[in-house]
Amino acid sequence: MKEAIAYSIMGLGAGGFYALMAMGIVVAYKGSGVINFSHGAIAMYVAFQFYNLRNEGVFRLPWFDILPTSWLNIPVRFNLTDGQPMNFWLCVLLALLTSVLIGALIHYLVFKPLRNAAPLGKVIGAIGVMTYFLGVASLQFGSTIPNPEAVLFKDVLFKNFLGLGLPVSVEALGLAASAIIVGAVLWAIFRYTRTGLATRAAAGNEKGAVLLGYSPDKLALFNWVLAALLAGLAGILAGTVTGSLSVGKFTALIVPALGAALIGSMSSIPLAIGGALLIGALQTFTSTWMVGESWFPSWLQSGARDAIPLIIIVAVLFLKGKSLPIRGNIEEKRLPLAPYPKRVGKYVAIFVPLGFLFAAGLPGDFLWAGLTGNWGFSFTASLVAAMFGLSFIILAGYVGQISLVQISLAGTAAFITARFVADKGPTAESPFAVGGPHWPWPLASLMGIIAAVVVGLIVAIPALRIRGVQLAVVTIAASISMWTLFFDNPSATKLQGGSAYEFGTPHFLGVDIGSTSSSGLTDNPKYTLFCLVVLAGLCVVVANLRRGSTGRRFLAVRANERAAASAGVNVPKTKILAFGIASAVAGVAGVMTAYQTASTAATNWEYGIGLSALAFCYLGGITSINGAILGGMIAGGGIVNTFGSFHSPGLYSYTAILGGLGIVLTAIIHPAGQASIFQPLMRHFGSWLLTARGKEWGAVLKRLWPFLLGGGIWGAIGINPWRTDSWNRGWAIVLGIFLVLFVRNIVIQVKAVKAAKALPDTKSLQEVTA
Amino acid sequence: MSALLETNELTVSYGGLHANSNVNIKAEKGKLTGLIGPNGAGKTTFIDAITGFTDVSSGRAEFNGNDLAGVPPSDRAKRGLVRTFQSLELFEDLTVWDNLIVMAEETKWWSFLADIVKPNRVLGIEEQAEWALNLLGLGEHRDKLTLDLSHGQRKLVSVARALAAKPSMLLLDEPAAGLDTVESQQLGKHLREILKQDISIFLIDHDMGLVLSVCDYIYVLDFGKIIAEGTPEEVRNNPEVKRAYLGETAGEMQAEEGVAAARSLSGEG
Repeated sequence: MKEAIAYSIMGLGAGGFYALMAMGIVVAYKGSGVINFSHGAIAMYVAFQFYNLRNEGVFRLPWFDILPTSWLNIPVRFNLTDGQPMNFWLCVLLALLTSVLIGALIHYLVFKPLRNAAPLGKVIGAIGVMTYFLGVASLQFGSTIPNPEAVLFKDVLFKNFLGLGLPVSVEALGLAASAIIVGAVLWAIFRYTRTGLATRAAAGNEKGAVLLGYSPDKLALFNWVLAALLAGLAGILAGTVTGSLSVGKFTALIVPALGAALIGSMSSIPLAIGGALLIGALQTFTSTWMVGESWFPSWLQSGARDAIPLIIIVAVLFLKGKSLPIRGNIEEKRLPLAPYPKRVGKYVAIFVPLGFLFAAGLPGDFLWAGLTGNWGFSFTASLVAAMFGLSFIILAGYVGQISLVQISLAGTAAFITARFVADKGPTAESPFAVGGPHWPWPLASLMGIIAAVVVGLIVAIPALRIRGVQLAVVTIAASISMWTLFFDNPSATKLQGGSAYEFGTPHFLGVDIGSTSSSGLTDNPKYTLFCLVVLAGLCVVVANLRRGSTGRRFLAVRANERAAASAGVNVPKTKILAFGIASAVAGVAGVMTAYQTASTAATNWEYGIGLSALAFCYLGGITSINGAILGGMIAGGGIVNTFGSFHSPGLYSYTAILGGLGIVLTAIIHPAGQASIFQPLMRHFGSWLLTARGKEWGAVLKRLWPFLLGGGIWGAIGINPWRTDSWNRGWAIVLGIFLVLFVRNIVIQVKAVKAAKALPDTKSLQEVTA
Repeated sequence: MSALLETNELTVSYGGLHANSNVNIKAEKGKLTGLIGPNGAGKTTFIDAITGFTDVSSGRAEFNGNDLAGVPPSDRAKRGLVRTFQSLELFEDLTVWDNLIVMAEETKWWSFLADIVKPNRVLGIEEQAEWALNLLGLGEHRDKLTLDLSHGQRKLVSVARALAAKPSMLLLDEPAAGLDTVESQQLGKHLREILKQDISIFLIDHDMGLVLSVCDYIYVLDFGKIIAEGTPEEVRNNPEVKRAYLGETAGEMQAEEGVAAARSLSGEG
């Protein structure tokens, strides 16, 4: 018993850290109504900044050098002390200044423009910021996982704290005490200063605060800076309490902090601190004392710590989800319209053969003999990413449910499939292989997809009571917890030391459709074709759902749950159905991803990957099927990304940053996504291909020949003369023509939108773009 | 004749505030029953309580002889008790036609599988939806998004949507709010038309002209209590109603308006 108490007291250190984080989340919410998912990422960035300042005196700015020149650069990195350790207080000051800068930038560049956006838009904005900081941190700090020193009371221990028989570090107690002190200061600010009072007033009734002469913008700026300062302070003070400093894991500490903030109903600072200390104490108590008990299930041992915040979040939202204050805004926009898919059959009839041609190549190696190497990988990756995107389209786009757990569902499908498809156990070549019943691949995949649906339905249960942004909180917590509880838990997966499951080669009617080609790489064009067929099938399924009674009910629920209920639509059942279907789609995408790389490991299913997938899907257009396809094309590792890599080999490392920036921009400027810009082009092109006769071909050639010729010559010279790869010349010509036409189309579209915007009513915008 | 909708001592409280206290109402089959009262009298709360959108503190509501306690809103709609909202609450992503169809269609657990195979099935409800659309003169807007309609047209869509379900009782929450006098008179005519289709109506409004001209029987609600009931004639002449709700002179004027409207209606009908 004494031990249990001592362990709980040790946990107060982590609790203090969570408390500092939770206060920042509460402040940001009060000031702007945004549940700031990026709070952990900001704390992580400042923690790295502080560590690097302290150890080698290197100061960095939170952006990257986008200029491709070597003589003109955007300043990013400053070496202040020639690699020597720096003065402690100077480090603190610089780290806190970084926080202030980040807070102000986030306000001006992201959340001020998003002030009147739909709730999903704000969540997307926060996720964009998070993705951005994950990307910038990976770029600047790389994959180093340093072990920071304690900041408070370094190396001081109570050898026998309160006679409990165990040593307790003073650092832990100091962190808890600092959180309480900071909390008292914050409480005083909100209680006694004019700005604090005005913030509280605006959180209750923004219109009222405006009428009293307060600028909501200034209040929001003040609160964002304050929130970022708190994040920075947490990052500085964390010391040894949060363990080694890793980009992904430190950012994931947002989950316990969110749990604590929710205990305080996103408004009470004392309750948030209490909740945070409780979570910290419970975590250490569970992970050190309880797991040692004989009754504790062994498979839970490694994940128990991370399950606690999830349980608390679900419990809090379930119990008082409806009573949580929804911050009133002056004006709220809705999600973009979900367009009615037309001519689905024609689309499939045109684009699937085109894709076949593109992927498989022409007979006799005319121009090209199918996609192999980088292009093969990336085209397949795009197809798979588009499949995954469809699960977001169904859930977020059609039913308005923001679920961030889809990546874990895809992973579940992949892992379960792997277990069923596996044959013998370890061999000499693959000592870590996991044994299994060696089922045929279609059956094993089906089991995987069913598993994804089952997990998805369990996640859906809280969604019946929890809606909107709160659901995003639960699902991101679920995604992070599932990773530690299941994917990264050797006793659950039987994978030793981060090894991967191996997938055999799938055959269809005797043909090898596995991704592994004769060259040993995973670039078999037949697998690409397989993906194309699956994606086309999924698109037809989703389009038909949207066009039928299911789609009507989905959109009715999305538009207005009350009205849907009054229309005889069973809202809970409809949501469950959507979760089920979206889980199945995510499951299919998971299985296809696994087969694409011929193996799957825990690192494939981390929450960050799911976030950037959502980001690219939103960028493409969250409410339409074309959005998912476009999102797949621009996703990390997809064709656009690979195209970029030919010009600057390092573009892969910018994927997260560009994705983050892209979704923030999309959320602000064009919430319907890029698909609505490309849709008219695709439709036009598609029906034209079907109907055009010789004369029309001639007319088009006459109009476009300068572009075709120019693009062709450009391609023949080489798109980029300095490129280092060695791909087919014929390809380059086609690509050059495509690029020129692509740019031309964008120019035309932009002109059309501008012309439409100059007109007084918005109706004509739709007419012009249609 | 038995009452289609009946409440017995229905009370809705929010904390200490009684939004509805001991409300007893009977809405007969085939009749147009009205509920009037000034703003804040508890009219919308009453509809919310009957349709399951707010919890009833005590008392009971019966529809078609069945107790409604514990029946979720969507099931009440399925049983034929269908409402409109004062704030319209249309499905903005759907066309006018799809708004109606959502309301009317019966779905099974396997409907989504059928959709995957054949999304545009004949549902057997098109006739009713068509009738509702044409009755309210919305035929030409059938394939438009509701966002592209005027406020008055959207109002009519919300009524048409409720009618598409072929309800046995239609609860209208302030259908005349925001309509001008002509539009409101037209609405009155539509309501009589609807009654002929074996659909009973329960009308909530504070437009005295409309309520007095079309209703068969009227309840007057003030501060959550029924203060008077009777035929339009009786309510118009009830001194308590005049004092409590209409106010002396304005009430007279509105009542006159009601008489005039009723005359023009009967003259034409």
